[in-house]
Parts: sequence; C-alpha cells; structure tokens
Amino acid sequence: MCEVTEVRVAGSDDGDDSSTADVFVTGGDVTRDLAAVDWSATPLGPPAEWPQSLQTAVDILVSSRFSMWMAWGPRLTFFCNAAYRRDTLGRKYPWALGRPASEVWAEIWDDIGPRIDTVLSTGQATWDEGLLLYLERSGYPEESYHTFSYSPLRDDAGAVVGMLCVVREDTERVIAERRMTTLRDLGSDPSVVRTEQQMLTFTSRQLGRNRRDLPFTATYLFGEDGLARKAASTGFADGHPAAPAELVVGDAASVWPAAGPARDEPVVVDLKGTPFTGLPTGDWPEPPSQALLVPLLQPGATPYGFLVAGLNRYRPLDDTYRGFVELVAGHIAAGIGSARSYRAQQRRAEELTELDRAKTVFFSNISHEFRTPLTLIMGPLEDLRSRVGATDERAGQDLDVIHRNGLRLGKLVNSLLDFSRLEAGRMQGRFEPVDLSAVTTELAGVFRSAIDKAGLRLDVDTPPLGRQVHLDRGLWEKVIFNLLSNALKFTFEGAITVAVRADHDQAVVTVEDTGIGVPEDELPRLFQRFHRIENVRARSTEGSGIGLALAQEIVSMHGGTITADSVAGEGSTFTILLPFGSAHLPAESLIPAGGTTVAPDASAYVQEALRWLPDSTATGSRSAQEPPSGLQVASTGATRVLVADDNADMREYLTRLLSDAGYQVTAVIDGQEALEAARATTFDLVVSDVMMPRLDGLALVAALREDPRTASMPALLLSARAGQEASIEGLHAGADDYLIKPFAAAELLARVRANIELARLRTHQARWRTALVDSLQEAFFVCDADGAVIEINAAFTEILGYGSEGLPYYPVHPWWPDPVTDPQGHQAVADAFATLVGQSSGTYTIPVTHRDGHRLWARAAFSQAQDPDTGQAVIVGTFRDVTAEHYAIQRDNALASMSTRLAEATTLADALSAALSELKDLWRAEAVLGVVFGDGDEPAVSQAGASLRWQDLSDERRRVLTELWDGPLLAPVSDHTWSGIVLEHPRGRLVLWIDLGTRRPFTDEDRLLLSLLAGHVGPSLTRAHQIDQQRETAVALQRAILGPSELPAGFAVRYEPATQPLEVGGDWYDTVTLPDGRIGIVVGDCVGRGLPAAAVMGQLRSACRALLLTDPRPAQTLMALDRFAAKLDGALCTTVFCGVLDPVTGHLSYSTAGHPPGIIAGSDGSTALLEGGRSLPLGVRPGRARPAAEHTIPARATLLLYTDGLVERRRRSLDEGIERAGRVLHDGRAKPVEDLAGDLMTRLAPAAGYDDDVALLLYRHPGPLEVSFPAEPAELGRVRKALRSWLSQCQLDTLQAQNVLVAAGEACANAVEHGHRDSPGEIVRLRAEAFADRLHLSVADTGRWKTADASSGRHRGHGIAFMRAMTQNVTITTTADGTTVDMQIRIV
Amino acid sequence: MPTQFSLGPHKQPDGTTVLAVSGEIDMSSAPALAAALEDTAGRLVVDLTAVEYLDSAGIAVLFDHAHHVELVVPELLAPVVTVSGLGELVTVRGPGAAPPV
Repeated sequence: MCEVTEVRVAGSDDGDDSSTADVFVTGGDVTRDLAAVDWSATPLGPPAEWPQSLQTAVDILVSSRFSMWMAWGPRLTFFCNAAYRRDTLGRKYPWALGRPASEVWAEIWDDIGPRIDTVLSTGQATWDEGLLLYLERSGYPEESYHTFSYSPLRDDAGAVVGMLCVVREDTERVIAERRMTTLRDLGSDPSVVRTEQQMLTFTSRQLGRNRRDLPFTATYLFGEDGLARKAASTGFADGHPAAPAELVVGDAASVWPAAGPARDEPVVVDLKGTPFTGLPTGDWPEPPSQALLVPLLQPGATPYGFLVAGLNRYRPLDDTYRGFVELVAGHIAAGIGSARSYRAQQRRAEELTELDRAKTVFFSNISHEFRTPLTLIMGPLEDLRSRVGATDERAGQDLDVIHRNGLRLGKLVNSLLDFSRLEAGRMQGRFEPVDLSAVTTELAGVFRSAIDKAGLRLDVDTPPLGRQVHLDRGLWEKVIFNLLSNALKFTFEGAITVAVRADHDQAVVTVEDTGIGVPEDELPRLFQRFHRIENVRARSTEGSGIGLALAQEIVSMHGGTITADSVAGEGSTFTILLPFGSAHLPAESLIPAGGTTVAPDASAYVQEALRWLPDSTATGSRSAQEPPSGLQVASTGATRVLVADDNADMREYLTRLLSDAGYQVTAVIDGQEALEAARATTFDLVVSDVMMPRLDGLALVAALREDPRTASMPALLLSARAGQEASIEGLHAGADDYLIKPFAAAELLARVRANIELARLRTHQARWRTALVDSLQEAFFVCDADGAVIEINAAFTEILGYGSEGLPYYPVHPWWPDPVTDPQGHQAVADAFATLVGQSSGTYTIPVTHRDGHRLWARAAFSQAQDPDTGQAVIVGTFRDVTAEHYAIQRDNALASMSTRLAEATTLADALSAALSELKDLWRAEAVLGVVFGDGDEPAVSQAGASLRWQDLSDERRRVLTELWDGPLLAPVSDHTWSGIVLEHPRGRLVLWIDLGTRRPFTDEDRLLLSLLAGHVGPSLTRAHQIDQQRETAVALQRAILGPSELPAGFAVRYEPATQPLEVGGDWYDTVTLPDGRIGIVVGDCVGRGLPAAAVMGQLRSACRALLLTDPRPAQTLMALDRFAAKLDGALCTTVFCGVLDPVTGHLSYSTAGHPPGIIAGSDGSTALLEGGRSLPLGVRPGRARPAAEHTIPARATLLLYTDGLVERRRRSLDEGIERAGRVLHDGRAKPVEDLAGDLMTRLAPAAGYDDDVALLLYRHPGPLEVSFPAEPAELGRVRKALRSWLSQCQLDTLQAQNVLVAAGEACANAVEHGHRDSPGEIVRLRAEAFADRLHLSVADTGRWKTADASSGRHRGHGIAFMRAMTQNVTITTTADGTTVDMQIRIV
Repeated sequence: MPTQFSLGPHKQPDGTTVLAVSGEIDMSSAPALAAALEDTAGRLVVDLTAVEYLDSAGIAVLFDHAHHVELVVPELLAPVVTVSGLGELVTVRGPGAAPPV
C-alpha cells in the first residue's frame, strides 16, 4: 500500500448514550464519575466507539478492589478505580479522570514518565518497590512511597496503546519502619552506657541516622540555676544560632520557649525569622518549617529537660509523628534516669564496701566479747522462759525464738572463737585417759532423738576396746557432734552408723551415713576452712564451713588423723584414727581421768539440728503459726513480694514484717521454689536469702534474669556473709540490692519500698513498651537466634490463636502449614524462615495455619536486634493478617492474567486453549480439561498441552464430567482431587475440569476464584466465536473475490494480507482467459487494509475482469476502470498492472496505473523491468488517455508482478526493494515457479513479517505442456506434434528438439505398448516443463513395464537406450499405480 | 490419427532399388516400412532424407534388413542411427552424397 489510513473496524457513527452506560456498568462513585466525563473532548472519543480492549481494560480496572490506574491512547488519558482514588489520588479526584496522565501527575512526571515510555516502547512491564515520590494530593508536596508495576495495554490489533498501573501505597509502612528502626536503635545498647554523657552521645548518634524524620534535634537539660543547657544535638553545625549552648527558662526572647516543656507541655514552634535561617535540611531539599519541643519526663518530678525536634516538612505532624518524637524523648529521659540511678547505685556499693571492711575489723577484734553479752542474754532468758512461757503463750513463743537463736549465735561465736584460737595457736588440749567406746556412745546418744525425728536409724557399734585413749573430752565432743550434725544434715533416708574398734595400736572411730555423699572432686577440699559444697540437697545450708576444719585440727591435736570416703549419692564415711596411750602427747597437757561429761554447747548442736527437721518438737508449739511454704498471705496491698529463705524463723519473721507493712507475701523454702513461683506469677519484689539448698540466692537471681518473663523482677538478697566481694557478687548476679544480716526491720522495709519504687521507675519504659506492643494492631513477636518465638503480643494470639502460655514456640512452629497436605505452603514458610534467621531484615508473605486449622496469609516484617539485657541476637518482627488482601490480589492477578491471555486469543479454539492453560498454571494442576457438550455425537474434549478424545477418558471421568454438565452454571464443584465448573460455550455447555492431583485442598477462596474466572471465560469464548464467524465470513468472501480458482499453466501466485486474523486485504491478482486464448493478467493494490479495502478490491477486480473480456486492450481497460474507480468510494489511487499475454508467443501488451514495474528474469541471467505503459493511479484523472507498451517474454524467462508490500520497506528506496526482488527472481530462475513464489515471499519478508498486504504473480514462458492421450499407437503422431510446437516455444535448436522428441516418443511408445497389452485405452500423460537452463519431461501410464518382454523386446532395448542417449537423466519409477518416466534435458 | 508416412520405390540404372521414405516412422508406421522392405529384393537404398521422425520401431525394421540395405540419413536422424549401432552394420550416406562404389 502506498498510504495507510486509520480504519475503525468496530464502532458506529452515532454517539448514543445508552452505549456509554454499557461501558461503565460496574457500580460505585468512580463509575458514575467516569460516565460523567466528556469523553468526546478527549482523544478517546465517546465510549460507544471505544475498542473492546479499552472497554475490557476499563471494566477490569473499575471492578478491582486493588488500587490501579491506567492510561490509554495517544495522550495517555487517565482512568482510575475507587481504591486508587482513596489511597493515592486525594484531592485530584475527580478532576483527574479523562485528563492526560502527564497533567494528572505533572509533579512526578519526571519519575514516572520514562517508565511509562519504556512500557509503551518495549511492551515490557516495569516494577518499582517503595519508590519515593513527592505527591501534591493534600495541598503540599508530600513524602510518599509506592510499590507499583506498569504493564502494557494493547488494543484490538495487539498494538501497545496504553498502560495499567497496579499500585500499593507503602508510605505508612516505610515511615513506620523507619521510625521503628530509630526507636529500636535507641533501645539497642543501654547496657554499656554508664554515664549520662555517654548515653547522650549514643542517643545523638542514633538520632543522627534518621535525618528524614528528625532533620535536626537538640537536647537541653534543666539546671538548678534556671538555665537549660544544651547536652546534645544532631544536624546542627557548631555555633548555629538555633542551637545555643544555654537558654534562660521563661525568657520570651530566647530561641526556644523552654517554659512549655518545663511544665510538661509539648510546644510546636513555627520556624520563621532570624535564628531559624539556614537550618539543617536533613535528607530533604528544604529545611523544616516546624519544630516540636517535648519534655524529657522525670516521673514524679519536673522534667530532666526537653528535646527540640526539627520536623520533616513533607509529612503532616499527625498523632503518629508526634508519638514518635515523644517516644524518642521517652528514650532519652529513661536513659538519663537510668544513668543517674546507676551513679547513685555505684556510690552505695562503694559505701557498702567500706562498711564491710570496718565490720570485718570489728569482728576479728571483738568477737570473743560476744560471749559475755550472750551469756547475760541466755541466762536471764532461761529464767524468763520458765516463768513466763507457761502463762503467756505468745510471749513464750517469742522467747523460744530468742532462745533458739541465742543458742545458735552462741554456737557460732564459740566456733569462731575456737577457730581463731586454733588459728592463733592458742588452743591448749587437756588430755585425760577415757574409755573411747563409752564416751563416743554417750555423745552419739545425744543425737539419737534428732536422728529418729528425721526418720533415720542410728546404729552405734562400740564394743569395749580394753585400752584407754587420751582425749580432751570437750574437744572430742566437738568432733563427734560436728560429724553427726553433718551426717544428719545431708542424709534423707537410711542410717547413720557410729562405730569404734581397735586396729593394732590405734583406735578407729567411724561415722558413716547413707546421705548424698560428696562429689569426688570436692573430697580434697572437704577439710578446708570455710569450704562449703554449694547447691547440694541438704536439710539446711546454715553453717559456717568450719566444722570439719575444726574437727581435723582437733584430731590432729590428739595425734590422730581424720579422713573421708564418699561415693556421691550413696553416702560418706569419716574415719578417725587415734593412737592408744599418751606417748604422743605433751606431758604437761595430760590430766588424770574424771572431767566433765557433757559439753555445755551440746544442746546448741542438737537444738540446731532439730530446727532443720519438719514439725520439729522444738518448734512444735508455733508451727501452726508459720505459713506453709508457698502459701500466700493475703493482704490488702496489691504489691506482691516473694520471700525465699530456708530458715523457718527467718521466713516467718520476714513474712510477718512485710505483711504488716501491707505487702502481699508469698513465702517459699528455697531458690527452686522461688523460681517456679516467679515464673508462674509476677512479683514486684523477690526477697531471698543467699544461702539456700538446691538453688541459692545468687543462682536464683541469675535464673530470673535469664528468663525474659522474670528478667525485670527486682530482687533483694539477704545474707549473713558481709564483705565487699559478697555484695559485688550479688550485684553482679543481677540483684538490685543486698542487705546484710542482721538488719533492722525498719531498714528492711525501707529497702523493700525503695527497690519496688526504683524498679517501677526503671521498668516504666519496659511496661510502656509492653503496653505499646500489646496495643499494636499488628502481631508482634520476638525470636531468639534459633528462631524460637519467645515473646508475642495480644494481636499475635488473636491472629494465630497461639497464646503466650505456650511460649517459647520452637521451630517448626505449630502454625506452619502441614508438610503433607500443603507441601508448597510448608516450603514457602520454610524459605521465609530461612531468611528470618539468615538475614538482618526483610519482609515476606506466607501462608500460616490458625490454631483452629483455618488458613491465613500473613505479611511479616522482621529485623535482627540485640537483646539489651542479655546481648544475644534476637529477631523482632511484626505481621498482619493479609488473607483478604492476598486473595483479592490473587484474584485480581488471575483475572488480569486470564483476561490478557483471552484477549490475545484470536480464535475460539485459541481462547479455550488459553483459558485451559491459564487454569492449569494458576492451580499448578496435573491437567485441565475443557469438555464441550455440543450437537456432535460425542463431547469435544480439549486439554491444556495435549490432544485427547472423549473415548480416551476413563468411564469414571466421563461419568463425573457428564454429571457436572447436568449441574448448574458457574457453580464450582470440587472433590479431593479435582474441581470443575460449567459455563456457556457458543457450541453448547462447557465443563472445565481441573485435576489437582493429590497435593492441595481446594478452598472456598479457590472456588470463588474459579467461578470469577469462569465468568470471564464465558464472554471471551463468545467474543472469540464472533471473531471466528466474522473471519470465516470474510475468508469466504475473500476467496470468492481474491483470484481465479484455477490458474493457467505456467503461473504461480501468493497472497498475504497484513491484517490478521482476517485473511483479506486491498491487494489482488487475477488472470482471465480471453476468448482468443490469450490471458489477461491483473495485479492491483487498493488503498487501506482490512475489510473495507477488501470490499473495494473485490469490486475493482470484478470490473477489471469484465472490462478485459469486453475489450482485451490493457490501456482501454484501465481507462474504463478509471471511470469506475472515480465513482467507487475508496477506489481512488488504486494502482493496477493490466496486461494481455499470448501464451504461445510470449507477447505481452500492458499498461500500468501507478503500479511498480514488473520484472523479467531471462534464461541467460539478465533481468529487465517492464517500465513502459506507465501512468497515474486509478481515478486520479478520469478520461485521460493511458499509454500501452509491448514486450515479448523470451523463452524460459520468468515474469514477476507484485504489489508494493513485497518490496517497500521503511527508510529504503523502492528501487532497492525492486532490485532485491530481481535478485531473488534471478536466483530462482531454474526452480519451479511454485517454489520460486515461496522463495520470494520468504526471502523478501522483513524480520517482523510483512506489515502491508502482499500479492505476487509469477509466469514462466512457455507454460508447461500437458498432454493426455489414450494408449493407442495412432495417438503418437498427435502427441509429437504438440510437443514439437511447445519445444519451438522453448526455442530449442532443431537437433536438440529432435532428440527430445525421440526420447519422449520412446517413452510414450512404451506406455502405449503396456496400455495395448494390459488395459487398452488407458490414459497416458505427458508433461513437459521449461526452466531457464533445462527441460523436464515426464510420461506416466497405469501399466507396468517388463524389462525382458518377449513379444516386443527386439527394439525396446533401443528405446531405452535412446532415452538415455538423448537426455541427461532418466529415472523410471514403477509403482502399483503405474510407471512414470522422468527425463531432464539440459539446454545448451 | 495414424502417422503420416509415404514410400516411393524406384529402380536405379545400376539395378539398385531406391526406396524414398517420407513422413514419420514410429510404431504405427513401422509395419508399412517393414512390408515395403520385404517386397523389395536385391540391394536396396533406403533414402530417409524426407523422414522427420524415426524412433526405435523404425530402427528395428531397418536392423531386420541390414543385410541388403544402404541408408541415406539426414543430419536430423543421425543420432538415432549412430546410437542404435545400425551405422556400423549398414552403409550410411548423407543426403546428396555419391553412392559408394
């Protein structure tokens, strides 16, 4: 075609309003507003004229709940849906509808324009995630983030004419994450921050990293002198007037109004005027226009100071922004509070150390002085008990406590004195000869009642030894009592055995128990002073650690040894060896026999031992009053205190003291119970003894600190162990305070109160955080480094159904999809989990299973962080339930994808196949069938990716499909392994059947999606069917008008229309056999393409044909056609070649109306153009005479006629194209014309295919000769005549012509002979075809040659010899159908 | 339509019979040629100068009479006579050339 004009295939001229309404059928405001746009004023024109593709695109757009906009047409006219209006468009709605997109988004056109250009020029979709755009939708440039994809929209012809943008606004998320990061960073490292200045430096570094939300900050702290001093700032250069070093609080002239924050009131300051010029801009082009001053709150006091925060001018100062700045200030305030309280704590620790040192000096100097006051206490006390105890029960109980503890104190003092005497070498033994068995039996007897009470057996095996042993009886008692006391303390069942025997010259005393034993590695240190085995099961941990050391010293004074054997878990045996006689003792220490019998402190040992035992008789009278272990003592106060002490007196005392002070007290007997209680319930304070069996106070505190649930529970340790190291050890373990026994009740209460309050202050931030986290709409979780979930909030439980009582949740977490029923979902979560523990931050969307079993989709975001308490890496994340959103997106994507694929389909079969493969992809199905139950004998089966027939299906499947067909339309039906739906198909009902395999359940969401998709497929099939029908009609029409159904011999033609799928266009060729045997040849090209051009072409072609038959002169024919064309719409400027060919002589007379010249390729390799007879295209000058030209086509030359689509290329001259066509013609001159026509179409085709209609016509002169004759000898002469005449047209020389004649004659004679013999009168066919360089002859009959035929063999040999001699290549092919002789004759 | 064919036998002064053949000799006309050769005794010169077509059917007839014929063969027919080997059995002259002595 010479020119291209736009042709509108669909649509109509009348702009009728009812069709406008048809376009906008989906309800809602946007649809109404779209309908109200004056579309005729836009390049798109009235909606009724919109192409189907635009209507479909608009329909998809407005019906989607996902935010989208699109642009269409030359000026990218803007459309959007309700979600986009709500999320992004803001005040621009409805102004934006129907406007050019570049106008709607003028302010960001620099960003998005190039992306749209890319989509339009390449047809490739773009993808941007979280792109920062400054939108002016709220009256000011606003920081916003969008994740969006631009994808191409195509018109009905498949050209990209617009774009669709699917967009999600991420502004809230991006900004929230950014602020969360700052808050998290602020809280990331307080453990190493010690001083206020370190803390402020750290804080400034963190704030300086978020220059978007905080372009600048300054922190001022109030002093006592009425000034506020700058403690830190970010963003400011040194000496900036807006960040002075000092401010006078209350001075109206100062830069910042500090009076507001001093009264706990935040203040917003407009940054105008002198001090505020040249402010830091942060990450933005412009500096803040406002600053927010927030107080640094100090609980119960005036603020520490205030924070000046420069505000991002591209975001509104809304509640979340204000809340963020306040949280930042809260962090700073908490940091200041913590630094200051740490400083105070440090001072106190120093004081304690000093105190302890003094105490040690004091003890070592005057401990022996205790004995006097103790004696004076105990003496009168005994007296008082005997007098008062009987009459006043309450006083008696108190006196018992005093008495018991007086005894214990006395024993400890004695031990200390003994020990210091031993240490000083001042202890002098006084040894008298005794009966060791008797003495030892007597001493063991003292312990019998206590041992019985403990449920143990005391075995005493002390046979008389017959010899005496020298002992200091007082010291010996200490040895035996210490050993028995130890045995009782560590033995819970079995027996304690005391035995005495003689072994040569030594007496052997053993004390054996069946107790817990001593671990092997502890044995060597067993007799070390003050050595105690920690954390073993014992009746009590009371003790000084000097008992065994003392015993060893004493035995050694006696010249003996003491050893211990023990197996852990089985028991211990202490063995004492004492020499008989006195030779080993200093003579001056020997005294005669007859001293005291029982040591004065024996009762102290026994009393003490009895206190370890439950329900002790010694304390029986008041056991009713002591609260049972673990029982809460009800109290009006809400403050809860946990008391842990293994000493019943102390436990009772503390409980009474604290209850009386209004605390709610829970008392337990050791660290283990305390830990369990603390994990079960929250306490405001734990008061614990340090020395306790099972789990001691230090271990208890450490365990509390390790567990996030109890890490913040304050703990106060009580211990008799004074000294710097002990208190530092306690504080190191994490105790908040350390109180040394003895203590005054008032001091304890003061410490308890102080610690509770301090903890409340300290945990204020933590409590706030907990409250904040619990108030989050999003689920919040914290994982440890291994992925175990260790903290969750209320929303987490709400969304997933798993509560904090089940913590920790170890991976694989219970909400992962089942690996058996949903392996893909399981894998998706496993992959996401790998990123969770493997990356520093990220987001993902995963399927999860609620505790009740239903499926959810969650979008999670996580970051690695460091636990400020433990320093361990943790993962902090949030997620929200995006199930609805997920399915909506999935639906929209599936619908859009399905629509796209259906829109690309051009036939009904294509459309169905596209729908099937889309369904297959979407559900990753094993197979998808489409079965049409139409009018045919059996249902027509289609399958995605393979062909299948109804009878190939199993009986069961056919039964299922037939049942589905009988069911209601568009109602999905599914089973475990398949799902199906029925919809209307142009040829009947269509059953879509999806084979899901065994892999996944088909959920309600899937069913909804399937019915939506089926709803789209139905109309698309109808549309494709309509296109099919249109095309069939058009093709039938075209075939009727395009060209002759049978071409004369020697011709070959090709036709290819530019407009797919219609196979018609404006080009044509024609041949007309004229009455005189000549052939009219016409090749033409109407302007335009598609159906309208084809209609014009058909009329011109018919007219031209009729005119040629009437008057076979080309020039006259074209002149007559001029007049016709002038009256025919669209015929103007048609180009035509019209010629009349004499097939015998090759003479061609022709005339062309503006048509490109024909090309002739000669047998000699020359090419020539038919350049004569040229004049204007049709109808341009009707009535003007047209010239004609003559040309004789040489023998074996090839003529090419064509339309310009074959040769015309953009940016190339027509001559170049003609020359190229000439070369291809020349190269193919030795090929059959059919093959040559194919070559021309292939070799001249542009890479992207022809973009214009192409018609071409080839003729080789002379055309092939075809003669059929009956197999009779008499026919041969006639055949020869015809062949002779054709050979002369081929211009062969006489001699070669004669040779060809003989060769052909022999072949024909053979055929006639067979015909004669087997089936007389059968037809023999001779065909001769000329090529540039050779002839091809073939003779075909229906008989079978016999090589040695007796009846005719004599000269048949000559016949074949002649054929071979006269031609270049003879092949004889015999089949059941007959024999064919082929011969090639090279032309010299 | 039978092949055009005619025979013109006449005696030469030396007693040699000259048979002048014209037209086309193919399987339809060869029997007539054969008959004419049968009817002529003695040396025979077959003059093919006016023959436009001769194929293996005619050659076969001439082979049968090779012992007593000489041929006058025009250029057009020479390939057939040569290829068939007939030229090696019989005396062949061109048109207008003197008869062999």
